[in-house]
Amino acid sequence: MRMEHWWFTARLRLRSILRRTRVEQELDEELQFHLEHKIDEGIAKGLSPREARYRALRAMDGLEQRKEEMRDTRRIHWLTDFSDDAHYAIRSLRRTFGLSAFVAITLALGIGMTSGIFSMVDALIFRPYPVPHPSGVVTLVSTTHDSSFDDFSYREYLDIRGNTQSYDGVIANTDMEAVGFSAEPAATPRVRGGMMVSANYFHVLGVEPRLGRGFREEEDRVPGRDAVVVLGPDFWKQEFASDPSVLGRTVRLNGTEFTVIGVAPETFPGMQIFGRPDFYMPLGMARLFSTDRQKNFFEDRDDRELNVSARLKPGTTLQQAQSELAVLAKNFEREYPKANRSRGAAVHTQFEMRTRADDGNWKFSVIFMILALSVLLVACTNVAGLLLARARTRTREIALRLALGAGRFRLVRLLLTESLILASLGGLAGIAIGYGFVEWFHTKQNIMFMTDLPVGLPFRMDTRVLLASVALTALSALLCGLAPALQSTRVDLVSGLKSADVDVPGRKRLWGRNMLVVAQVSMSLMLLTASFLMVRGFQHSLLEGTGFAKDHLLMTSFDPRLMQYSAAQTKQFYELLAERVRVAPGVESEALTQNIPLGEDDFDGVAFVPDGFQMPRDRANFTSTMDTVDEGYFETMGIPILRGRGFLRSDTADAPRVAVVNAQFAKHYWPGADAVGKHIRLDSSAGTPVEIVGVAQTIKYQVTFERPMDFVYMPQAQHPVARMVLMLRSSGDPLQLVKSVRDVVRTLDPNLPMLQTRSYEDFYLNRAVKAPGVATDMVGTMGAVGLLLALAGLYGLVAYNVSRRTREIGIRMALGAANSDVLRLVMGKGLVLVGMGTVIGLVMGFAVERLMNSMLFNTGGVDIMAYVVVVPALFLVTMLATYVPARRASRIAPTQALRYE
Amino acid sequence: MSKPNDLVQGTLDLLLLKMLGLEPLHGWAISLRLKSISGDVLQVSEGSLYPALHKLEQEGWITAEWKQTENNRRAKFYSLTRLGRKQLESEAANWQRLSSAISHVVQLSEA
Repeated sequence: MRMEHWWFTARLRLRSILRRTRVEQELDEELQFHLEHKIDEGIAKGLSPREARYRALRAMDGLEQRKEEMRDTRRIHWLTDFSDDAHYAIRSLRRTFGLSAFVAITLALGIGMTSGIFSMVDALIFRPYPVPHPSGVVTLVSTTHDSSFDDFSYREYLDIRGNTQSYDGVIANTDMEAVGFSAEPAATPRVRGGMMVSANYFHVLGVEPRLGRGFREEEDRVPGRDAVVVLGPDFWKQEFASDPSVLGRTVRLNGTEFTVIGVAPETFPGMQIFGRPDFYMPLGMARLFSTDRQKNFFEDRDDRELNVSARLKPGTTLQQAQSELAVLAKNFEREYPKANRSRGAAVHTQFEMRTRADDGNWKFSVIFMILALSVLLVACTNVAGLLLARARTRTREIALRLALGAGRFRLVRLLLTESLILASLGGLAGIAIGYGFVEWFHTKQNIMFMTDLPVGLPFRMDTRVLLASVALTALSALLCGLAPALQSTRVDLVSGLKSADVDVPGRKRLWGRNMLVVAQVSMSLMLLTASFLMVRGFQHSLLEGTGFAKDHLLMTSFDPRLMQYSAAQTKQFYELLAERVRVAPGVESEALTQNIPLGEDDFDGVAFVPDGFQMPRDRANFTSTMDTVDEGYFETMGIPILRGRGFLRSDTADAPRVAVVNAQFAKHYWPGADAVGKHIRLDSSAGTPVEIVGVAQTIKYQVTFERPMDFVYMPQAQHPVARMVLMLRSSGDPLQLVKSVRDVVRTLDPNLPMLQTRSYEDFYLNRAVKAPGVATDMVGTMGAVGLLLALAGLYGLVAYNVSRRTREIGIRMALGAANSDVLRLVMGKGLVLVGMGTVIGLVMGFAVERLMNSMLFNTGGVDIMAYVVVVPALFLVTMLATYVPARRASRIAPTQALRYE
Repeated sequence: MSKPNDLVQGTLDLLLLKMLGLEPLHGWAISLRLKSISGDVLQVSEGSLYPALHKLEQEGWITAEWKQTENNRRAKFYSLTRLGRKQLESEAANWQRLSSAISHVVQLSEA
């Protein structure tokens, strides 16, 4: 019944919209038919044709009203009204072209900033996984005291997979790591990015290979047996020119032959935000790719290298999955107290994973979203003010319409249609600005990523971003238009009709505009504080310095895993390498380190218990970031040893274990005492004791604006790692050393590639100065745009307020007020408003500053400079905005002012 | 607005549906028939007839068709739809209940 009814009426409505003239004609014809009969009837009764016609029309109670009534029954008048409104609005906007253009540009800036930023935030936070039914994919994490998002070991993964009922499949993958690739056995391997995945990876995610097949279930059962690889779509295109005959070909990955069995589809660039893996290998090949060589990937329960995800069964809630996993984690803790003490587990949605409090992308997104929305808000208040001023000059027009019987709602709709059109224009231009922003950001791609791995910026203006921009446009139309529309239709008809532009005295009317001034001042102040703080906080951190010497350094990395070196071969390689490059011409000193400071890769963590430290009962150990270095490290990097000693050649694998900690670490665990000579035990209070032999100066480790952090150095001989960076201090241009290093490496192994060979200073400039500079540029731009908009809007509002008082000023002057009295009166008012805005803005600024300090910067306290610069600028503009019109008003002759309309 | 004040609310719809349920008619014929059936008791203004017809049409209860009249003029003939027939049944039933209830009340007060 309902459906049928709907079907009928929808057809009729559509007809009345699409065939409007036809429907109107039929309406006329039908009524005409009636009238003619009626007239004939009258004539038959003996009336004159005139009289008959008159009576017939009388009987209809007004023909036109009837027609209108019939049109209303079609219920499409909202649409025809809208098109009428739109026509009218466009006409009246064209009449005030300058103002309309300014409003549209202002909105374009606000919407453009916001949609540009949203295209980033969408990619970082909101965009679903590129798989079918992405919302069903959840991430499982291991939790400890120090990390709520830890990985799982292979054994744990198998147990989870075998002992849970909540999922349609549990998958695992490693992080994307460097993989040595060569198409021919003899060729020197090149570095590409690959990850190991469980055999069910593609199947559970619902990803169909573009070519060939995914992994078979049995292909990760036996360690080392199935050397098969699925290629990423980008790599297939670049390396094999999308050649379908690549299936069955043999490629060498980390020195071992793999058979290409499939190619992932273009729709699946990978599950990461930035990384686009070139290779997917089954977990069974872990011996070639596992990062921690001291542990057995397949057996050790504490070799945690796997990200575990799962697809929830339909109908299973996150809570059910969560409690199931919690029970499992308890079992782990009971059965394997050594590896799993006080370790829990949790299930998270994609959104939860991306909005975790410790996540840099999330912080970045929050801060930029706040800034962009403030710019939009400033733009909207700006536009609201202008529209208000514009609507006020139309008081007479509006009063006339009201007097003629227009409904207030109908008029508000007309005015809102105007602001909707303005906002649409602004929205279109804004989307263009957004596109420009995304393009600009992509030109910064090689600054953002200095790595050999396949990564890319996924920011784009897609349907989601466009939809959001459209929603934003509609919202800003409403924000900007509603207040002025409501206010201007509340006119007093009598006075409204008498004067073209009269200000009815009353506090209420002024209140709205005064609020706008206050809002604008406070928002722009907050914006400026935030951008000042970020820009200056960053510059400040650069001025502070890093704590080590960056110049005359060559960096180049080696990964012997790419050539399948054994532990002994690796050890020998690094010993010989260090020995030989040290004596190469131009080399002043040499260092080997697992990670460089301020580099792309995260430092490893170390779990320990300080000797003699009473651990809290629920805590097995503390953790700290760490690095593995050789004995030349501190000297080469110019990091001062404050107490004790650095590493020596005598700190061999057989010697007692030693470590150097940084000053922050020493202060943290032994405040007021000498850390040298103390011991820490690895993993637990029963673990291997390590003596602290030296305290190094605290430097910047990850970013220049970090807080001082705990740090532990271990000697390479006692804590060998496969992948090391060679740092060489040169007397001249560091890049001139490249050739001699290459010669040395060739004598050791001609097939081993040198990775990331750069001058450290260049690397530092890009990584630590230019890349964050992109962010501060953005913040600075937003601050500047916000300030400009706010100043323009402020000037407009204040000047408008003053010019409206021209007549009052004339009266005052006629009554004998001096120029200075008038100036004081008018400017005083403006300054009070700005003062109020400043106070509110300061409070909000402090709040934002606290937020940003807690999220980003180590600089505690208040950045006074921001306020010293910003506040006087605002006052200056206000003074100017009041002064110019006030002066003009005070100059005109009273007689003229009194006549002023 | 010209509500048919002389008619109980909604009864015009019922009358029109009933009339068109008998045979398809054009507006003029309906107005004549209304007058002849109900005499002077139910005064339906000609002005309110067409809006009422349009409303019924927009609801989908009646449908219109342009046809020739007996004097070879083009006129808009309305006829009842399937939906309209259902509507007529339910409105007629409503009317029965209402009128019997009211007459019941009226008789009570007389007694």
